[in-house]
Amino acid sequence: MTDFNYQEIDDVIHSRIRTAIMAVLISVDEAEFTFIREKINATDGNLSAHLKKLEDHNYISVKKEFIERKPVTRYKITETGIKAFEDYIKKLESIIRK
Amino acid sequence: MDQTEITHSEITRAETELSVIKKIMEDSRNIVADNGWHYIFWGVMVTCGLIANYIMALSKVNINYQGMMWFILMISAWIVEGIIERRKAKKRKVRTFAGKMLSSLWFAAGISMFMFGFVGTITHAYNAVYICPIISTLLGATYIISGAIQQVKWMQLLSIGWWSGAIYNFLFPSIHTLIIFAGMMIFLQTLPGIILYMKWKKNPVSTY
Repeated sequence: MTDFNYQEIDDVIHSRIRTAIMAVLISVDEAEFTFIREKINATDGNLSAHLKKLEDHNYISVKKEFIERKPVTRYKITETGIKAFEDYIKKLESIIRK
Repeated sequence: MDQTEITHSEITRAETELSVIKKIMEDSRNIVADNGWHYIFWGVMVTCGLIANYIMALSKVNINYQGMMWFILMISAWIVEGIIERRKAKKRKVRTFAGKMLSSLWFAAGISMFMFGFVGTITHAYNAVYICPIISTLLGATYIISGAIQQVKWMQLLSIGWWSGAIYNFLFPSIHTLIIFAGMMIFLQTLPGIILYMKWKKNPVSTY
């Protein structure tokens, strides 16, 4: 067992759903709400709340539009989000290495 | 600084989390499911053009009219493709980098084929009979890359067919080159497109 600083863990990403959302969005160019929901098996309300949190921290950007009169919401990871996710992965790797 | 000790369970949790992240990333990154529409559309269009060209050549129709027929057919096909693709793009649930690579690859191949088919012959850089084997060679290269991006091994193997046909048509150029190439278009492009479509019908995942 070794020392570890919990303050270094990014709380915004450190949640199962938000980590999964970030993993999906970092792998694609952009994705619709329904696609993310299918990928991570979350309910609409739960997913919306987590997406909002990531959006508030500027980790993801949102684009809303109407296609054939139906509302479509697309999400894309931002540069800040990419950096934060990479740091988060490094942190997890460092836990394993210790 | 609030420092605590890392327990074994935390290490296990970190390992699990990393493996889940890796799996999600791999699954999402690899979505380039193709419904085969492009293959069927271009396969049918080019086959029709080749058969029409073959009939025109047998009837000794002026070569300029044959070129004109191809120009009108290809421009019309590009316009139809553009309209349909624009509509499909709006409905796509996800856009992946692999999908972008695939679109760029086929766009580049299309432009190159246009150059070989029209610019090369108008400038008399080579005899028009060699358009088919040149395009076959290019299609061989495009299929091998396309199959790698889509992770469809049998599609990569189709390159062998395209290159073999190219060798034959380079070695034995004749008026029948057109009909041989039409056969290649059916067996190496249209039918694989139908197979992709049938697979997609069974499991219609979001297309790139």
